[in-house]
Amino acid sequence: MAAAPGTRRAAVIQIVLMTVVILFCVFPFYWMVTTSLKTQVLALESPPVWLFEPTLSNYTTVLFEDGVGKTLINSLIVAVSTTALAIALGLPAAYALARFEFRGKKDLWFWFITNRMISPIVLALPFFLIVRQLGMLDTRLTLILIYLTFNLPIVIWICTDQFRSIPFELDEAASLEGASQWRIFRSICLPLAMPGVAVSAIFAFIFSWNELMFALVLTRNAAKTAPAMAVSFMEGYNLPYGKIMATSTLIVIPVLVFALIASRHLVRGLTMGAVK
Amino acid sequence: MSARTPRRTIFGFLGPAVIALALIGIGPLIYAFWTSLHFFNLTKLKKVKFIGFENYAEVLTDPVFWEAMGRTFTLLIIALPLQIALGMGIALILHRPGLGFLKTLTRLSLVLPMATTYAVVGLLGQVMFNLKYGVVNQLLGFLGIDPINWIGDPFNAFAMIVFWDVWQWTPFVALVLLAGLTTVPGEVEEAARLETKNWWVVLRHVQLPFLVPGLVAVLILRTADTLKLFDMVFTLTRGGPGASTEMISLLIQRVGFRAFDQGLASAQAIILLIITIILAQLYIRLFYKEV
Amino acid sequence: MRYRTSVCGLALSVGLGLGGAQASEWTLEKAAEPYAGTTVDVVFLLRPGYEAAEAMLPEFEEKTGIKVNIVKHPYENALGEQVRDFVAGGDFDIALIDLVWIGNFAENEWIVPIDKFTSNPDLLDPELDLEDFFPLVLNAFGGWGGTIYGLPFDNYSGLLFYNDCMLKDAGFDRPPETWQEVMDVYGPALTKDGKYAYALQSKRNETQSADSFARFLWPFGGSFLDENFRSNLLSPESQAGLNFRQELMKYMPEGIVSYDHAEAVNALAQGDVAFITEWSAFYATLKNPETSKIADCLKIAPEPMGPAGRKPALGGFSLAVTTQADEKEQAAAWLFIQWITSKANALEYLERGGVPARQSVYEMPGVAEKYDFVPALVESWQDGVPEFRPRFAEWPEITEIVQEWGTKMMLGEVSVEEGARIIGEQMEAVLEEAGYYSGEKPLIQ
Repeated sequence: MAAAPGTRRAAVIQIVLMTVVILFCVFPFYWMVTTSLKTQVLALESPPVWLFEPTLSNYTTVLFEDGVGKTLINSLIVAVSTTALAIALGLPAAYALARFEFRGKKDLWFWFITNRMISPIVLALPFFLIVRQLGMLDTRLTLILIYLTFNLPIVIWICTDQFRSIPFELDEAASLEGASQWRIFRSICLPLAMPGVAVSAIFAFIFSWNELMFALVLTRNAAKTAPAMAVSFMEGYNLPYGKIMATSTLIVIPVLVFALIASRHLVRGLTMGAVK
Repeated sequence: MSARTPRRTIFGFLGPAVIALALIGIGPLIYAFWTSLHFFNLTKLKKVKFIGFENYAEVLTDPVFWEAMGRTFTLLIIALPLQIALGMGIALILHRPGLGFLKTLTRLSLVLPMATTYAVVGLLGQVMFNLKYGVVNQLLGFLGIDPINWIGDPFNAFAMIVFWDVWQWTPFVALVLLAGLTTVPGEVEEAARLETKNWWVVLRHVQLPFLVPGLVAVLILRTADTLKLFDMVFTLTRGGPGASTEMISLLIQRVGFRAFDQGLASAQAIILLIITIILAQLYIRLFYKEV
Repeated sequence: MRYRTSVCGLALSVGLGLGGAQASEWTLEKAAEPYAGTTVDVVFLLRPGYEAAEAMLPEFEEKTGIKVNIVKHPYENALGEQVRDFVAGGDFDIALIDLVWIGNFAENEWIVPIDKFTSNPDLLDPELDLEDFFPLVLNAFGGWGGTIYGLPFDNYSGLLFYNDCMLKDAGFDRPPETWQEVMDVYGPALTKDGKYAYALQSKRNETQSADSFARFLWPFGGSFLDENFRSNLLSPESQAGLNFRQELMKYMPEGIVSYDHAEAVNALAQGDVAFITEWSAFYATLKNPETSKIADCLKIAPEPMGPAGRKPALGGFSLAVTTQADEKEQAAAWLFIQWITSKANALEYLERGGVPARQSVYEMPGVAEKYDFVPALVESWQDGVPEFRPRFAEWPEITEIVQEWGTKMMLGEVSVEEGARIIGEQMEAVLEEAGYYSGEKPLIQ
């Protein structure tokens, strides 16, 4: 096919537009990182400066003096644990929803999914009061458990979908040989469902890491997570932009890395298999 | 499907998840409902008393509540079409053949905004849109536009929220629609392109049917998430100036945790929950035919 | 002269102590012995005074073996955190009390009056000398209904911070003395070329109520409530003050309603406004060349006067012992509170960036010269009004009302009169519900 002159121009437009998209997506991150490398004086320059001598002092202050390092570790422990728990509880449930027939299945499925839609504010205070009664305030375990309200639905939705796409004949063949449901689940379906499991794990991790409201209400010192810490810098007395951006960068980097790894599956996970 | 799965097996598989979610999800809800039926103010615990549905009556007749709901839905109505339009555009651009490297780069860039911690988006917004130190005003200055007061002006603050919502979720829409576009059978699309050069026609008649599931998913999720929206607005404007960016979650948080009227806040939260469930039911039963 | 009085007092109390049952002197180390190893929890804010106290902690811990565990929160969250903690029977052993929270905390019986400890010779430092505290400060920050619960710890007064260089350039040789001068003379002269005369922090949180709204009520003869606890916002004086504030906005930067303390202080520090009326605590930030471009031009004066005189903004925090702490923790908490607010430590606290409420420290030679805010501060604490903001238990609800409509007034969404009327109605509804009008509750603020 001969290249028409219109095609060349179309290609140029395409290149330009894609570049604009890339810049638009990436620029705020660029700004975040550069601001984090500025001293307070530089950060408050008006108009803002683009070329300057960078400093790592914000990072060192924030990590070691202000305790952000500890909160990052908390975030990590909470996110990993709650993801593991969600997977452990959610996979069997997803399998059941995909394979078994029983009354009320649709409603059950709907209930699971609705949990993801609940605004955390609805649960925040009751949770606070209940948790206080149990003496579990400011513990990571509390966060790990309450994050299940959105992690479990994610795992279930994605994995139900995944299990359903595994051919039923494999199940049948195995059960003819006398395998129990559990064995079928464990040895046949699970390995084939790994992509879905991986994706849901990554999503559960990302959402847990990013969570703010429960962390604000239910933790104080010991179990404080990184996003809660970032918010506490915005007190009405100081504008430590450099430190705030440094904390933000530290918070955002792990999730971005994960998201890039999962980028192929990101959309699927976010729509939870709605796109067919 | 399999016939006659023993009950025990079903419980075994589903049990743990159901129990966990019931304890964590339903228990607190019941408590919240109980609270909403009482006058329950944290600083006046000696005066807790049962008042039936008075809190609900107050909420439903409170203009502040409806204004907050209104703002939240206004945000949805403005941001969602923008996200769809822009997302569609991006998806179409990425759908064209060629330029593999740039396309991969673009796809990877699109992933970044979606995964960003919402609280960080708000903080970033404060830094970038600052009247004096913000880079946005600096860039506008290059175009000859006077510095705009973003955070301090009620209208501009709302515009800023819209901007960041669009920034964060347009990529999502774009990727969903892109995935939808790839499900269009190649021959059909080629045939259509041979018939007309007009991309709009191709879009409307050939590609659209394959995009519907994705659009529905977007609709459901964005609605639910907008009703939940808290982190970004909280860190960006705290609901101000005045009440111009006070979304429903912020209102509930303010009533419950700053004015300490837990009874009222619980009633508001329950009403919000009911609205969310109704909408979710509506969407899913109308559109989503999977289970 | 005060020195001699306090020396006399010291001699007396030592004498009394010696003549008492115990033949030995009271020392902190001895008093703390039974409590070594106890941990006390307290909320601290992210402000200079608290950093000063934090720096002094190691000394306290060394002397007593008592560990003070600090939980840091922004001011915005401090009330919520403590209320949730008290309600749920939590850990805080020391309460950090903003003066407007004292009615709330006291009524809910979350804090312990100090005579539980001052009547205990084992715990009472003979040098406590309550009279050395500025009476206004002690009563306003730590007292409620005639009982003293806490000792003033982080103390502020509103001061006029001004950029002397800017003023001189505009031809002024002294700061404004009255608000009228600000409106008629200083405002117009200093608001030009992108600079403004004044910035009034007015953000929709406690700042609006305390810094913005109240500041223009009292000096004009207005107040929140009249003597029957009805709204006084529609009185001619209150209306005059609020209208004045509205007019004054033309000499303030755009978007002033979103300015919190940080923004106002920064505006002065970056040379964008000529003066601000802010809390004394910001002295350190404004004087430090790393955070302020005008460090050399900075001067301090008391707040301008209104027709009803000088009624500077009053704010501050006291520390009190919580009822939820057990006996050991309570004693340990008291020892810390007593120590950190003591006369002996006041100078160090001041030098590290705090603002103590001890009269004696400000009379020490050299102090007034070294810290230029001292004369204005001392003067302000003579005249202040304790009920600058009513401190009763209903304040959290009422401040929300004031914040909402105060900002709406400033944004022009509602007229001053209409806004005042609405605030009045809602305030009275809250007070009615609480039982003030039916006599259930005494009229204390």
